[in-house]
This record gives sequence, structure tokens and C-alpha cells, in this order.
Amino acid sequence: MSRIRNGLVIALAGALCVTACGRSTSDDKPAAGGAIGTGAATGTITMWAQGAEAERLPTLLKDFEAANPGVKVNVTPIPWDAAHNKYQTAIAGGTTPDIGQLGTTWMGEFGAAGALAPVPTDLDTGAFYPGSVKSTQLHGGTYAIPWYVDTPVLYYRTDLATKAGFAKPPATWADFKALAKAMQTKAGAKYGVSLGAKDFQGFLPFAWSNGASLTSDDGKTWTIDDPAMVQAVRFYQSFFTEGIADRAPSNDPGAHEAAFVNGTVPMFIGGPFEAGELAKAGGAGFAAKYATAVLPKSKTATSFVGGSNLVVFKKSANLAAAWKLIRFLADPKTQVAWYKTTGDLPSAQAAWTDPALSGDPKLAVFGEQLRSVNAPPATAEWTQVQSAGDSQMEKVNVSGEDPAAAMKSLQATAASIGTGA
Amino acid sequence: MTVTLERPVVEQTVAGSVKKRRNHHFWVYAGLIIAGLLTVLPFVWMLLGSIKPDGEILNDPGGWLPHSPTLDNYRQWFVALHIGTFFRNSAIVAVVTVLGNLIFCSMVGYAMAKLDFPGKRPLFALVMVTLMVPGVVTFVPLFVVVAKMHLVNTYAGLILPFLTSPIGVFLMRQFIRSIPDSLIEAARIDGAGEFRIFARIVLPLSGPPLATLGILTFLASWNNFLWPLVVAQNQDRYTLPVALSLYSTGEQATNYGLLLAGSVMVIAPIVAVFIALQRWFVQGVATTGLK
Repeated sequence: MSRIRNGLVIALAGALCVTACGRSTSDDKPAAGGAIGTGAATGTITMWAQGAEAERLPTLLKDFEAANPGVKVNVTPIPWDAAHNKYQTAIAGGTTPDIGQLGTTWMGEFGAAGALAPVPTDLDTGAFYPGSVKSTQLHGGTYAIPWYVDTPVLYYRTDLATKAGFAKPPATWADFKALAKAMQTKAGAKYGVSLGAKDFQGFLPFAWSNGASLTSDDGKTWTIDDPAMVQAVRFYQSFFTEGIADRAPSNDPGAHEAAFVNGTVPMFIGGPFEAGELAKAGGAGFAAKYATAVLPKSKTATSFVGGSNLVVFKKSANLAAAWKLIRFLADPKTQVAWYKTTGDLPSAQAAWTDPALSGDPKLAVFGEQLRSVNAPPATAEWTQVQSAGDSQMEKVNVSGEDPAAAMKSLQATAASIGTGA
Repeated sequence: MTVTLERPVVEQTVAGSVKKRRNHHFWVYAGLIIAGLLTVLPFVWMLLGSIKPDGEILNDPGGWLPHSPTLDNYRQWFVALHIGTFFRNSAIVAVVTVLGNLIFCSMVGYAMAKLDFPGKRPLFALVMVTLMVPGVVTFVPLFVVVAKMHLVNTYAGLILPFLTSPIGVFLMRQFIRSIPDSLIEAARIDGAGEFRIFARIVLPLSGPPLATLGILTFLASWNNFLWPLVVAQNQDRYTLPVALSLYSTGEQATNYGLLLAGSVMVIAPIVAVFIALQRWFVQGVATTGLK
């Protein structure tokens, strides 16, 4: 059943692209959304949110409904693994809700479909992490408010690192590789670190940390074959050629957590949700055996920023109230409360001073990492470049192709696709 | 003399062939048992996994027996996640869809097989052509039509597009063609109208294809994921597969215990239907060649 379903999903995405990728020129111009003012919100607002967490939204929204007596919010939870299809079909059929939750990487695609309403002028995006705000900006306008953020950091086994002779987390690339090697030679690990062999997006933090950029500053041309990028790929590749990372890691969900818990692969790079997964896989006492750390540094220590943005669909009949609800959800106080119920990391910088977040050392690392993050361009073209990048990474890491040649080839592919800017 | 001479020979050959057949049977059964076990094993794993806590599945995905069995996964479905609503939705959609297919496909099949009317051949050709068009191609246009008819988030929107199917029409037509014309002509001479002929003669004779069609439609409707996902706009209309996906898969992590317990409950009715109609199903496959 699931294979048939996946087939359907892929075919559907393809079919939709035909309808959704044609971009009307009038939507390209940055548009200001006007102001929403400070009055109370009224009317009915429908909101789609992903995952079972969305079930907990109504509790949070009680405060909003209490402050705005004339408002009723209907929340529909939708499954994560099919949300993308659901939004696409809804846009095609004109049945979009007022508010939707879009992954930061989907922004380009849905923005290109011309389905999103611009953010009102009196909603300030300055309070959020700049890396997240970047994902909301499309074609010169702002079309979303960051809701929560997600950034990968380094997870490592402190007990095994001590055995390997490291009392502190690796600060530099050289330290990182030395620790990974020592994990194998001194701490009995099978592989030093778990890295994605065919994952271009997973590699990007290394590129950014080395000072490389995917595009030129104006975003008009791809710069994938520049020397800093090639150097980063070479560093990444060395983990595979030297046998420090598995060339064919298991893609099964939960596999790298299990390997982390049993000590066969005692380091990986992962997002905040991993803490919960590790608690499930390792049991209650396991938290004492590992720590998180900011990514190792080359020129900088820059990670990837993901997460979800809140958007209002153009077809909404209740634009003002919808934006007011988003303003409520983006408020630091609300975000701390949401963090406490779901563990989603606040996008508002002010929320991180709350003791609930700053008091937990494993979590504070995420706050620190978020100060240096980057995101790929939020364009539909990026999705194509990324999948071409995945196959180049596979050639480099699995078949040992020369990084310079691979990046040159990727640059040629990317140039033929264009940047969409 | 000839009798006494012949008897042992006959017995010998009979005994030999029985022995040979028994030997032959042994291998057939051995093969069937192995194939049967291989088919059943994943289901056993699912059943055992559904009573394991999540961490146990993550740590030892290949393990069989649960170390600390628990009914928490099932409890969560029943207590916190109101599975009853999803079950009811799935059942309503599946039952109405099956009934619609049984009635309409057999009606159209009868007309295509036994009645003469202008344009019959091109019409049947049209049905066959729609059989060739994959569902994904019509998916989005179909949704747009349903949305324009304001049927989004209604049972009608979930059911209407699947109320009849070209494969069902084809199946019924092929079978009904094999019913002798003389039977129908006799009924007509006795004064029966077309509907009476259809209801009293054709339908009772079409047991096997109806059973096949019923099972096929039930399975397709019960397992359908994408259509209910996009048509249902709030939880009250979600069907089981949508709910299963909603609650057990997160952005990055999957709740395996919950997923397996949910899968067990989704599959249970299918297994029940299959066991109940198994005899018909085998007969249907034998007579129609479709499954």
C-alpha cells in the first residue's frame, strides 16, 4: 500500500508542478499587506497545523479567544508526511484555510504558486532569528512569520569522548575529525560519526562554516564550484574515504539513534527532536551519557536553519483576524508556553531568555547555534538543485569521485536550472 | 488364473501411485507452509510490536517477543485519540462505496452485455479507455470539481467519485455475457420487465463476480489515503489511514508502537471480510481471472 501511495504522491507532485510552477508576473512584485491595527480579532479563523502537536493548539488558543471575545479558531491537524500534498491540492482546488503551517523549505514553491498573502506592515519580523526570517522573504516581499525553528547541532557521547581523551566538545574541524578517529581507535566505536553519504542539505553546514555560499550575494547566480565549497566537500569526503563514517549508513528511522545508544556510532548531527528519540531509545538515565555542542568551526560554525513558518492564504476571508492570531502565536510568551507543551524551539529571540530554555544546558546549545545559521534559497529551483546535489554527494562519498569535478558538474546543472531570482 | 495373476499387478501400481502422490503432496505442502509462514511473519511482527513500548522497537527492530508487554498503544488510540470516529467514517465510506459499486456496476454491466441500444459499442469502448487512465492524472481535476460542487469535507465528497468504477463495469459485463440469452428471453416471454430480469435472474446468478467486486472495492476504499486526506478538512471526517498517519508520524520521528497498534486495528476488519468471503473470492478469481 505504501509503495502505491508513494507513487501516487510523486506523480501527484509532478502533475501539480505543471499547474503550480507557472508563475504569474503580477505576483512577483513585492506587496505590502497594509496594517492590521490593534483592535480585537473577530469572526472565524481556520488553521491547518501539522502533526499530533496541533491537537494541543486549542488549549494554547484559549488565551487568544479570551482576549478576543468575538473570535472562533478551528484547528485542523494534518499528517506531516502528507501535508505538502494537502496544501498543494487545496491551492489547486481553492479550498485553502486562513492560516497554514509551511516548512521553511516549502516557502519558495508555495510563494511561486501565488497563494500567500503578504505580511502586514505593522507586524515586525525583527524580533526573530534572522536565519528564519530569510526563509519568509520571497521575491522581495515578506510572506510569512517564523513560528518555530529547528537547527542541527552535534550530539556526542561524553562518556566515550572521555575514553577517547577528549574532555571538551570538538571546537574546530581538526578536533572534530581527531575525536571521530579516536572514538574508533580508543573508545571501541565502529564508526566515529554518522554522516549522510547522499545528503546535500546535510552537508551544507560544512560548506557555510567554510565560508562558501550557494549563490552570489544578489542571489542571481549559483556559486557552487567555488574553492571554499570544494574544500568543504573534500573535508566531508575524507570521513568516508578514511573509514570514519559509514559509506552506506542505514536509512531506517531510529537506526542512528540506536547506534548512538549502543556506542557503535557515538556522534551525529541532529535537530532538537533527537533528545526525545534518544530518551525513548536509551531510557531515562541515558541523558547523562551524552551532550550537545555547537557545530565544529572552520571559518565560522554555521548550521542549517529549518522549522515552520505561519502563512495566511490570499483567499482568506478573514485576513486581519488571521494575522492577529499569528501575532499572538509569535509572541515570546506564547512561544515559551508552546515550547513547554511540544518542545518546539521558539523563533522569537526574546523567548530564549526564559529559564525554561536558558536553564537547560543541552538546549542552550541550540540557542547559541541559532546565532550562526543559514538557509538555502527559498525558491522552487533550489529543490531541483538539491536533488542534483544529492546524487553528486553520492558520487563523491560512495564512489570516491573528485570533489572539484563533482561540484563543477553540479554548478553546470544548477546554472541550467537557474536561480529563479 | 488370469484374475489371480492380474490382481497383484493392479495393487502394485495403485500402491505405487499412492506413494508417489503422497510424496508429491509432501513437497507441495512443505512449499505452501513455508510460503504461508513468510506471508504471515510480518503480521506477527506487527501484532507483537503493537504491544511493545516504543523504545523497545527502536532498540531492537528485529526482535520478536516483547520484554515488557503493554496495552498502552491501544489504550492511547481508544482513550486519547477517539479512534471510534475514524472507524465510523471509514466504515460509512467503505460500505456505501461497496453498495454503490455492486448496484451500479452490475446495472451498467447488464446493459452492456445483454441489451441492444444505439451507441453501445462506443460507450463500452469509452469505459475501457477510462480504465487505461491512471487515477493520479485525474486526481487534481477531480478534486477541483468536488471543491466547486461544495462537497469538500462531506461524506458525499468522500464517496461520490468512487461510487462506480470502469473495472467493475468490465468485470460484471464479462460475467453477465456468459449467462445464456435463452434464460433472459424466457423471462421476457413470461412478461418480466428489464429491471425484474436484472434483479431476479441476472443478479442471483452473478454471485462470484459480485463478491470479487465487493472485496476489491472494500479494500480500495478502506485503504484509500490520499483522497480522504485532501477532501476531509477537519478531524471529524478523517478516515482510519489518515488518522494513522496523523498521529503516528511526526516531522522527523515516528511513534512506532502507536503506528503498529493502529495498523493492527485497520487490518483486522479486512482480514475478517476476507475470511468471511474467502470461498466467494476464490470462485470469483477462478471465473473472472481478476483479483
